[in-house]
Order: sequence, then structure tokens, then C-alpha cells
Amino acid sequence: MSMEPSGNESPAIERPSMDVDIVCAGFGPATGGFLTTLTRGLPLEDGTLPQVMCYERADDIGFGVSGVVTRARGIRASFPELNPDEIPMAAPVREEKVLYLLDPIGASRRSFTLKSADSLLRAAGVLDHEAFELPLIPAFLEKHDGLVMSIGQFNQWVGQQIMMSGMAQIWPGMPVAAPLIDGSRVAGVQLLDHELQPGMEIKAALTVVGDGPVGPVGRQLDEHFGMPEGHEKREWAVGMKMVIDLPEGSPLEPGMVLHSFGYPEPEIFGFFYVHPGNVASAGIFVPSWFDSPVRTTYRYLQHFLQHPYLWRYVEGGRLRSWGAKTLNEAGRRGEPHLVGDGWARIGEGSGSTNVLTGSGVDEAWTTGTQLGEAVLELLREKKPFTKENLEATYVRRRRASWLEQESLTAEKSRDGFHRGIVAGMLGMALAGFSHGRLHIPGAPIEHMPKVEDFFSERIPAARVDEIRREAASSGKPLHDALMDAWGWPAIPYDGQLLVTQQDALLMGGKVQAAPGYADHVAFRDEALCASCGGKTCVSVCSGQALTDAPERPAFDREKCIHCGACMWNCERENVVFMAGAGGLHSAEN
Amino acid sequence: METILVLLHPDAEGAIAKAGLEAIAAAHGLGGEVIIGLVGGNAAGAAKVIGGAGRVLAVEGDAFSQSRYATDAAAAQALVAASKAGIVMAPATSRWSRCLAGVAQRCGGRIDSHITAIAPEGVTRWYYRQRIEATFTRAELPWFLLLESGAASAWQGAPCDGTFERIAVEAAPRTEVKGVVSPGAGEQTVKPEAELLFVAGAGWTKKQKDGAAHVERAGELILGIVRTAGASLGSSKSLVDLSGEGQAVLPFLSHLNQVGQTGSTPRHPKGLATCCHGEEPHVVGWRFIQDRRAVNLDANCGWARGKADVLYVADAFEVMEELNRLLA
Amino acid sequence: MSYHIAVCAGIVPDPLQTLEPVSGPQGPALKNEMMLPAVLDPWAAHALYEASHLAKNVPGSKVYLVSLAPKAKLQQVLMTMAQKVAFELVALDGPSSGFTESADVASALAAAIEAIPGLDRSQLLLFGGWESAARAAGTTLAMVGERLGITEQFQGVDALKVGADGSLEILERVEGGKHQVSVCAGAPAVLGWATGSLPEPPNSPQTGMQNMRTVMPALQKAKPAQVGAHAFLSVSLPKQQRTTRIVKDVPAAEVAREIAAWIRGS
Ligand SMILES: Cc1cc2nc3c(=O)[nH]c(=O)nc-3n(C[C@H](O)[C@H](O)[C@H](O)COP(=O)(O)OP(=O)(O)OC[C@H]3O[C@@H](n4cnc5c(N)ncnc54)[C@H](O)[C@@H]3O)c2cc1C
Ligand SMILES: Cc1cc2nc3c(=O)[nH]c(=O)nc-3n(C[C@H](O)[C@H](O)[C@H](O)COP(=O)(O)OP(=O)(O)OC[C@H]3O[C@@H](n4cnc5c(N)ncnc54)[C@H](O)[C@@H]3O)c2cc1C
Ligand code: SF4
Ligand code: SF4
Repeated sequence: MSMEPSGNESPAIERPSMDVDIVCAGFGPATGGFLTTLTRGLPLEDGTLPQVMCYERADDIGFGVSGVVTRARGIRASFPELNPDEIPMAAPVREEKVLYLLDPIGASRRSFTLKSADSLLRAAGVLDHEAFELPLIPAFLEKHDGLVMSIGQFNQWVGQQIMMSGMAQIWPGMPVAAPLIDGSRVAGVQLLDHELQPGMEIKAALTVVGDGPVGPVGRQLDEHFGMPEGHEKREWAVGMKMVIDLPEGSPLEPGMVLHSFGYPEPEIFGFFYVHPGNVASAGIFVPSWFDSPVRTTYRYLQHFLQHPYLWRYVEGGRLRSWGAKTLNEAGRRGEPHLVGDGWARIGEGSGSTNVLTGSGVDEAWTTGTQLGEAVLELLREKKPFTKENLEATYVRRRRASWLEQESLTAEKSRDGFHRGIVAGMLGMALAGFSHGRLHIPGAPIEHMPKVEDFFSERIPAARVDEIRREAASSGKPLHDALMDAWGWPAIPYDGQLLVTQQDALLMGGKVQAAPGYADHVAFRDEALCASCGGKTCVSVCSGQALTDAPERPAFDREKCIHCGACMWNCERENVVFMAGAGGLHSAEN
Repeated sequence: METILVLLHPDAEGAIAKAGLEAIAAAHGLGGEVIIGLVGGNAAGAAKVIGGAGRVLAVEGDAFSQSRYATDAAAAQALVAASKAGIVMAPATSRWSRCLAGVAQRCGGRIDSHITAIAPEGVTRWYYRQRIEATFTRAELPWFLLLESGAASAWQGAPCDGTFERIAVEAAPRTEVKGVVSPGAGEQTVKPEAELLFVAGAGWTKKQKDGAAHVERAGELILGIVRTAGASLGSSKSLVDLSGEGQAVLPFLSHLNQVGQTGSTPRHPKGLATCCHGEEPHVVGWRFIQDRRAVNLDANCGWARGKADVLYVADAFEVMEELNRLLA
Repeated sequence: MSYHIAVCAGIVPDPLQTLEPVSGPQGPALKNEMMLPAVLDPWAAHALYEASHLAKNVPGSKVYLVSLAPKAKLQQVLMTMAQKVAFELVALDGPSSGFTESADVASALAAAIEAIPGLDRSQLLLFGGWESAARAAGTTLAMVGERLGITEQFQGVDALKVGADGSLEILERVEGGKHQVSVCAGAPAVLGWATGSLPEPPNSPQTGMQNMRTVMPALQKAKPAQVGAHAFLSVSLPKQQRTTRIVKDVPAAEVAREIAAWIRGS
């Protein structure tokens, strides 16, 4: 995985510095849980009021991306009186389905086994709009006591309460460039440089790292402190979603939840949730173990929406919001060192996401609350934030909780996917039902196939070559041309829901970037790019911020949504993904 | 029907700009007595031209010939009082736009600006910077209305004897008007009277298909069109912001060139946009352009589709090279 | 000589948001208004940057940010603005919709400014945006100025220079992409700013922390403001769909010829 020292190039410059007691990097659900718990215990009984600062990269809190359906166990523990009506777009889960989507157009790459299964299902006449509804939902997947939410609205709701308490400050538009590492200790963070002002050093007794799956602060800690024996972060997915104003008179009820697999490619999972107000969230995950070098999530999302099972609901709808983000699918196996002298990690970057149940929000929140309780305990006892003390308080709480039990179960569940989707689903079910004792072993893909090889079944190598030349001379994306040639139908743009990716950036993502910051995506060795045939970083780029160019891909900072997918999609680990400003300006995802 | 006062500022020759004649016509369209209020300039000359439109009141004098809040507000206030008008109309020139809200406040009235259409039932204007259109009416008087050009066709009437009533107003302004300057040292690129608006987007500064940016050439091509076609130059916010960052990016651009939500919404018969992309904020830059064409690499660009009359899917650099040659 | 600069600035939806009108109990409103990310009104934000710049150059000056907006939304916007320049907040709790009555907003703002403890009205510079991005009328600031008895007013301001004698040289946007130059003898004056010439200041953690001392208390004691609206006959999105003729796969030279002919009016 590519890790890089810091987004700030010039170590020699004089940096202003400031002292606080606790500094947090990133404001997602994990830090939300942390600050909610911590601020409720402040000031301490003896009147002590530590100064607590949180710096968030995005231009406002709540510009994150997620599903989100959650069992909300941890969230409800923090808000026992929680009334979903108070949070815009939230609703209790009312109906759940797991769907196997067949391919109505014959463009997806299906194995022989899958094709046979499809024929059987078709012959049996059990399909509804080319989809097979699983007769029962595995218990581990069920979220029927949970909530459908917008992560943006939830984060804003939480953030406002924390801010109004006056016990902590959350500053958006302020990326953290790096942890201040001092031997075995972390002494705070350094903020990102702006051309008019060098990034400040924020010194703190405790640094809380909640910067999510691809956060640069967490990755620099991984780099410096290494990963625990046998742990690694190697499985990822890029999740992309749209929030859709459903057509008037839609029959769908708030709280409906659909999970899908099988289409547009067997490896791609989908979701569809209904919010109050005739609004739905729909999205897909393109995982790292999907072996296609052409992994253009946006195009696949458009095909997903057009699957007959969904299209009957969304046709005539309007794109309201859009975004994408990486999901760390390594889960417990990707758990880094959780604490050290002066630092602690929470949330998805700390391996909390449960890939078996497809949930990360409540888990992230819960790790935050556990750290919050631990910090209050240490503050009350006037103990320093040493590795030992954090282990005895935070890590102990985490190990003793449901979170640990469930992530151990999930740990092995995903391996089967590398052997194909059917084995994968089976593997997930086996592990889920047997609480982790049974699983189908497998290993992540080591090498992305060459474009020519991957498409050889339907596109002769000479034609691939030709397509490549055409793309280069017209400046148009190669991946789209390849998908067309393979047999994916053109997208019937309607300017409302099916819009170009550029339009999605503005209509849905409202993407923008303040001037004055350096490019946060760079290439370690440009020569590698020049000889790269696949350019997966370009085809996967969620924002079309990376485009093909002769030497190395061209990066347009104003279009980047900071999903981090480019980083883990270059198998040569040639992408340097650093802290940067800007990105999505939607709080509805 | 209420008496309507139409406020105008004739120039030294007594000429009334087209926007002023439109305001007169709009007032007559409502029915009711129309009174003309002149401030500054050559009142006698103006009254000869427009006296046929109604009774003419005028505030004259050196202090009132300049565009200045204190004197304009005092003059307008005196004219409103003398006319006893219930409705006060004026073209939305920078001069009237500056002072009339304050005058409405002094007269205990209400004001609505940027009126694009007017009828006895109500007036129409845009909210959210040309993004939402609303029609409404009010009960509060006096009601001040600032009319955008194009809200009515220009008033035409026979010349007359030029009689007018002089209204005396005291003035001791604390502000001295020094004159008018054009921004920057370079050539004038904002030309409101031009037939064509040429809109340049950030695409001009972006890496092109050879992986490099060609900003200098872009600048030459853009200025070339502005010169040869006599066009006014508009730009997207992104491009202006880039230029403002002190980089070597299109130095001739300033915020005055910016069209759209936080820029201007110019009125020209034709508009040609190149290398632009964007949703609403951008589209409003086109709101009052009649005939619109665009050049973009992306055939499905939602900005052009449904908003331009013709979209040329082509490389703007190549097209503009040739266009410069053809127009030269 | 030092100035008390009161900057009137509302909040508006972040400019890239999709806007759709709906009718609410108090008249027209924006769909999901409270969910749309908001920013400080762009032109008023420029006024704030200019105010801060001026205050830095004229020792002893003070900047007040006077804002009428829904309190919770304002708090959010201020987390960004408070990092940019130093100010003291004067907050009023009320609607930020563009469909409200500017005379009411002006009356509330003027009262709030008059009530600022220790404000020196003779040294008052009333700053704001030329026009808001919501009502987009350019009427509020002038009315606040009138209520405060200020007769020197400027709109569409792009530059302000303070002379050695305390006079103010001001550049205002006028027709034809030009600027009118005026010299005002001194404060008090009203300046409705256009873009000005300062870049958006980068976020600074120190400035943010310093501002928080007044921001949170001011928000907590923000008084509700009485703001109404007149009746509307209709509120709608423009019907902007045109039939676009798409010309592709045509050589650039041919495209250029067609455009040239069109420009020449044939
Ligand atoms: C499309 C999609 C659908 C999903 N669906 C579901 C679902 O249905 N249910 C569910 O439970 N989970 C779901 N998840 C997973 C869930 O979103 C994550 O597990 C969860 O958000 C993790 O929370 P976190 O607080 O650890 O990290 P994040 O939510 O990633 O928050 C980290 C924050 O840190 C900020 N940050 C990053 N770098 C920096 C920096 N350098 N400086 C300052 N700030 C920084 C980021 O901007 C971000 O706000 C989904 C994810 C995706 C992408
Ligand atoms: C506070 C704020 C205020 C705003 N106010 C405004 C405003 O007043 N006015 C405004 O316009 N926008 C405004 N915006 C929107 C913002 O500036 C948008 O990003 C902008 O509208 C889109 O930029 P663009 O079209 O210049 O560049 P891009 O979106 O980058 O578009 C580049 C386009 O150029 C095309 N292109 C590139 N090379 C070529 C070539 N060789 N030939 C042909 N085409 C090519 C590409 O296909 C692409 O479509 C505002 C945004 C904010 C945040
Ligand atoms: S970053 Fe990696 S995937 Fe992208 S072009 Fe370079 S080598 Fe290829
Ligand atoms: S360049 Fe930005 S948008 Fe594109 S993949 Fe990388 S992080 Fe995502």
C-alpha cells in the first residue's frame, strides 16, 4: 500500500504551533462517538476542562459518503431516546430483501456455474424483473431493528450538538497533513500547508486518529509503527452512491432496504435504501478482488440503476446527490496498532468495519465511544495517555465488546470471494452461520490481468490496440470505449438521473476545491506510468480527476473527491495519495 | 390607479438612454397618471424629447449631474414628495440602483429591484441570482421599482415644447466624484453593447490531450476572438479565480469578466461558450443571451445540452485557431 | 483615527447546490433548505475580507460581523468563516430565505448595530455585499444605512483606499465594465462590496479559536428577528430546456466556418 510521509514538502520552514490537550484528525462517525461521549463528561467533576480540537479535511462536516443502513446498537446506546424524525432522512428499517440480480443484457462476465444457475432460475419461473429474492435473509445480515440514514445528515446532527455544548471545537476545511511523531510517541498533528500560510503544528497530550479508511494520518502511523504480526490492509472496495428523488407517486415506503449481488458484474454488490420524503439511496461496491482492469465504478453504477428490478422504481427520478469513498474491507485483519504513547486510533482506519454484515458506521461510532469512556477515566484518575494506560482502558473495552466478537467472525468470511462470487456468498454464509469457525480460504488477487488478456474473449487484441489509439487521440476515456466494445450498451443520458460523470460531479457532488493547496495525488515514478498498459487509476477514478496522458495520468485537483481509490488500484503502488482540501459539497450522502 | 413617477437621468445633451424610455413605456402600460422626474443633466433638452409622456419635474444643478448617493437620494426624495406618486419607477442603472433603496426607506416605502416584467397584476423578478423567477404584487406605498432593460419596449412619442417644473433641492455632499476608469492597463474586454458574448471556461487552462496545458496560446486565441469578432468576454468563476491567483493564467481576466451566479448576467443577442462546464451557477450567465452556441469535447455535457441551441463537439483549441484566421 | 466596521452578511446555499422552490407556511421557500450546505453570502464574504484587511492596516479598528440567519445553520457556516478573519459576532435568529422582506431585515440589522456596546457611529463603516445571492436585490444595506443616518453610500465597490487625511477613495462598478472613482470625506459611510481584490484567506486555526470566544456566546444569545414576506403570485424555476442541435464528427475547420458565418450574422 502506498504510504507517504506528509502532504507538506518543505520541512525546513518555520511553523507556527499551538498547544491543546486533545486533538482529533477527521470527523466521521468514529470521532462523533468519541466527542459525544467525551464532551458529556466535561468539565470533569473537579472543574478541569481540557481543550479539545478536531480538524476535518472536508469543507464541512457531513460531507462524507455512506449507505447507510445500520443496526445502530452503539448509536442507540449513546442516544437512548433517539427519535429518527429528528435527523433528516432517517427512518427505521421496515422491510429487507437480499436479491440476486441476473444479467438482462448479457454483458457481464459470468462463470459457467453462474450461467447455469441463471438458466435454472429462469426456468423455474421464480424471478421478479430479472431478480431472485433470497428466501431468507441470513440472521447476521439482518438490520430490521436498525435505521436507514444519511451519513451526512447524521454527522451534522451529531456535530451540532457537540459544538453547541461548547466542550469541543470541530473545524472543517482543515486537513491534517501528518502526525507529529517523536520516537515512539505522537505529540500532535501538523496541518496542511497553504501557499499563503504554512500548516500549523497542533501539539497535544493525546492525538485521536479517526481519519477513515484511507486517511493519511493513519497510514503514516502504519508506516512508522508497522502493522501487528499477521495483519495487513489489502482488501478494499470503492463504494459509490446516488441519492435520488424518486418519481412522484413511487410505491416505495421509507425504511425499505435491498442488498444485491450478481449485476452489473457478479463481484459487484449493490444497495438500495428508501428514506422519508420519496428519496432513495442507491449504490454499488467495486472490490479490489474484482479482477477487471477496467473498474469504472460510475459506469457500473449507471448500469446497476438500469437493472429492471430497480429501474421500474427509479425511472423518471432525479439525481440529488452523489459521491464515492473507499471501504476498508480487511476488517479485523487490517487492524493496526490501536494505541501508543499519546495516540489512539478509532473507526474504520482502526479495522472496525465488519465486512460480513456490511456495516461500519455503528462499529466506528462504538470504537469512538469506547475511547471516549477510556479518556474520561484517565482524565479523572489524572493518568497520562501512555500506551499502557490506553491499552488498559480503551483496548480493554474494545476487546470485551460485541464489536470484537463480531469482527472475529467476519475476519475470515471474505476469503472465499477470491474464488468467485458463488463461493464467496457461500463463504459469507458459512462464516456467518458458524460464527467464524468455518470458512473457505482464499487470497487476494496479486496481479491485475492485462487489458488485452482480460478482454480477449470478446475483443481481439488488435481492436484493443485500436481503441487505445482512438482514446489517446480524442482524449476520451479508454475504459468507456472498452466497455462499449465488450457489449455494454451506451448510457441513455436523460440529464436527470443518467448524467455524464462530469455532470454528476456538479449536479450531485457539487465538487469544488479552494485554491492555494498543492496537488494531493502524485506519482512516485512517472516512468512506471508511461509503461503502464492498464492505467487502472484512471479508469477507477471516481471523479474523473485522473485522465490519461502520454507521460503519466493528469490530475485535476478541482475534480477529486478524495475517495482514495486511485491509491489502492495501482498495483504498482505508484500513486501517492496525501491529505488535501476540497471535494464533495453535499451533506445528503 | 396610483400616480406613477418615472425617474430618469438625462445626459448633458438631454438624451435619455433606451432603458429610460423603456421605463416610461412600462409606466404607461399600467394606466394611471405618469409623471417624469429628471435629475441632473440637461432637463430642458430632455423634456423636449419626452415631455409628451407626462408632466415633467426636474432637479437640476452641477451637484446633481453626477452619479452620487447623497445628491441623487435627496433629489429623488424631493421628486417623490412633489409628485405624490404611489409608484416610483426607474431603469436599473448603477445610479438609480445605488440610491433608490435608501429613498424608499426615507419615504416609508418598499422597493423591488431587477424587475424583468411588469403588468397590472404584478411584477416579475429573479431570486437566487437568476435561478428562481417569481411574480408578485404589494400593498405598501410608495412602491419603488427598478426595471431591467428589456422589461418593456422603448417609449416613442412626438417631441414637444419642453416645459418642466423645477424642484429646488439643497446639496452639500461629502463625496466628490472623480470620474470613470477602465480596469487594468490592458484592453477593454467587457463590452455591453457587443453583438456576441464569448464565454471562456476553465478548460482553456487545463491539461489537454497531450498531457500539458497551453495557457499562453489559449490567451492569444481568446483575445483574438474578442478583437476580431468585437465580442465581449465572459468567463466562468473557476477561470477568473485561477487568473486571480497570481499565476501566469490569462492576465487580462478580472472579476468583471465573470458571468453567472456570482458574476454578471449580461444581455447580448448571441453567445458562444468554449471549454465550459457547470450546472446552475454557470447557466445563469446565459440567462439573457438569445442565441447560444457551445464548443465542448463532451457530447453529453449537461451544461450545453438543453441550454445551448447548438453544441459543437470539437476541440476548442482547433476550432478557435481556425475561427481566428477566418475572422481576421 | 480608527474604524468600527460592521459587516452585514447573511448565509445562502452553497452556490453549486440545486435549488427548487416550494411553498411553505410563511410563503415560498427552498426545498430542503436546511439540508443544503450553506456559505456566507459570497459578496458579503468579500466585504468581510476587505473589512479585516482594513482593520489590520488601521490600528484600533474593530470588525463586527452582523448576521441574521437560522441559528443552527449560521453556527455551521461560522465554523468555516471564523477560521478566515477575526471578528466579533452579532447574531440574530431568523430566516435566511431570499423571499423575505428586505425592509424587515434592514430594520432588524440596524437595531442590532445600534445596540452594539461602545460602537462609535461617527467612525462607522457599514460593509456588506452589493447584492445577496439569495434575494439578489441590493436593497438591504442601503436601508440599514438610512436607518443609521448615513448619507454617503457606495454600491458594487471593488476597491477602497484610505487617504492620509482620512478620506476614502472608492471604486464602484458602473456600466460598461468600468469603475466610478469617488472620494468621500470620511466615515460614516456604507460600502456594498462586489468582489474586491483580496483572495479568500486560508483557514487559520488560531483565528478560529480566537473567534470562538465571541461566536458561541453570541449564538447562544441570538434574539429572534421579526421578518415577514409579501404575497407571491407565482414562484418557479425557469423553463430553460432548449432543443440542442449536436454537431459532432465534423472537422474543426468546418465547425469554425459555421461559427464564423453565424457570428457575421448570415
Ligand atoms: C457507499 C458506501 C456505503 C456504505 N454503507 C454502509 C451501510 O449501509 N452501513 C454501515 O454501517 N456502513 C456503511 N458504509 C461504511 C461506513 O461509511 C464507514 O464504515 C464509516 O463511515 C467509517 O466511519 P469513520 O468515522 O471511521 O470514518 P469516515 O466516515 O471515513 O470519517 C473519516 C473522516 O476523516 C476525514 N479525514 C480524512 N483524512 C483527513 C485528514 N488528513 N485530515 C482531516 N480529516 C481527514 C474524512 O474527511 C472523514 O470525514 C458504507 C460506505 C460506503 C463508502
Ligand atoms: C462560490 C461559488 C460561486 C460560483 N459562481 C459562479 C459564477 O458566478 N459563474 C460560474 O460560471 N460558475 C460559478 N461557480 C461554479 C464554478 O466556477 C464551476 O466550477 C464552473 O461553473 C465550471 O467551471 P468551468 O466550466 O470553467 O470548468 P470545468 O468544469 O473544468 O470545465 C472544463 C470544460 O472544458 C472542456 N474542455 C477542456 N478542453 C477542451 C478543449 N480543448 N476543447 C473543448 N472543450 C474543452 C471540458 O470538456 C470541460 O467540459 C461558482 C462556484 C462557487 C463555489
Ligand atoms: S499510477 Fe499506477 S495504474 Fe496509474 S498509470 Fe501509473 S502505474 Fe498505471
Ligand atoms: S484522484 Fe481523487 S477522485 Fe480520483 S480516485 Fe483518486 S482520490 Fe478518488
